[in-house]
Amino acid sequence: MRKKTKILAISSPGGHWIQLNKICNQLEDRFDVVYATPGAQYKSSTQQAKRKVYAITDASADSKLNLIPVTLQLLSILIRERPNTIISTGAAPGVMAVLLCKFLPIKTIWIDSIANVKVLSRSGKMVKKHANLVITQWEELSDEKTIFYRGSVL
Amino acid sequence: MIFVAVGTQFPFDRLIENMDQWAADYDEEVIAQIADGEYLPKNINWQRFLDPEQYNNNIKQASVFVSHAGMGNIISARQHNTPIIVMNRQFELGEHRNNHQADGIKWMAELSGVYAAPTQAELYTLLSNTKALQISSSTENKKLDQLVGFLGDYIQTGSIN
Repeated sequence: MRKKTKILAISSPGGHWIQLNKICNQLEDRFDVVYATPGAQYKSSTQQAKRKVYAITDASADSKLNLIPVTLQLLSILIRERPNTIISTGAAPGVMAVLLCKFLPIKTIWIDSIANVKVLSRSGKMVKKHANLVITQWEELSDEKTIFYRGSVL
Repeated sequence: MIFVAVGTQFPFDRLIENMDQWAADYDEEVIAQIADGEYLPKNINWQRFLDPEQYNNNIKQASVFVSHAGMGNIISARQHNTPIIVMNRQFELGEHRNNHQADGIKWMAELSGVYAAPTQAELYTLLSNTKALQISSSTENKKLDQLVGFLGDYIQTGSIN
């Protein structure tokens, strides 16, 4: 049997994580998906018991120092899992993952949060030039050259 | 039962205080997740954080879910077919690091079962007739299927078209 392509899915907790799950629940039919997110709380959920979820340090624009441990943790996960592609719905941990993968043979997909209606999120702007594929969930924000609209989680 | 939740990232005392005052005047059970808020409710049953199972169970059991204008809660409310009232955090009041919840609340309110209450008055008006808050079952997942299909093909072929 052919091995399924492996994807690493990364996000912050809360709405980012819920959007990532909406998307990846369905991608699990086609791919081998592993996850990285802050907060061990997700491990207790029975629905996700079978999933491989790496706990990472929480980092945000308000806790920039935490970006250092997060980056090291992500690097270690990337080396261990060797995914073909990473997907992130944001925010800060996803930015670090996209930047790391620039130096690795790993494809990067950024899906900007649906909460950003009028402008791309701040983290989306940071990865715009670095991710292989940048998706907005709002047609008005796509330019069909660097930022694409192809549907949304709602 | 009315379930109130403000997310985990920031407190949202304005919403909790509004709900606490409301609960003082009405005979309805209110349960709240208040995060690191400074305001401690007197008339409602509160906790700072809930585990995900308890959290989802509360959304399922609630007749109405009152929330900050966070995407996660809106998606969860729709999954459990519970109508949701959302109050947006305002940048001007120091409630968020930017005003994206004010932009978002306009289109959120167009979704079935999502009601926007930027102010206390609007919140109380909606709560005065909760039976009128309806949600049509959100079986329409066309946009999600489109997005996932596209991503799957991109991962496999590397092609955008």
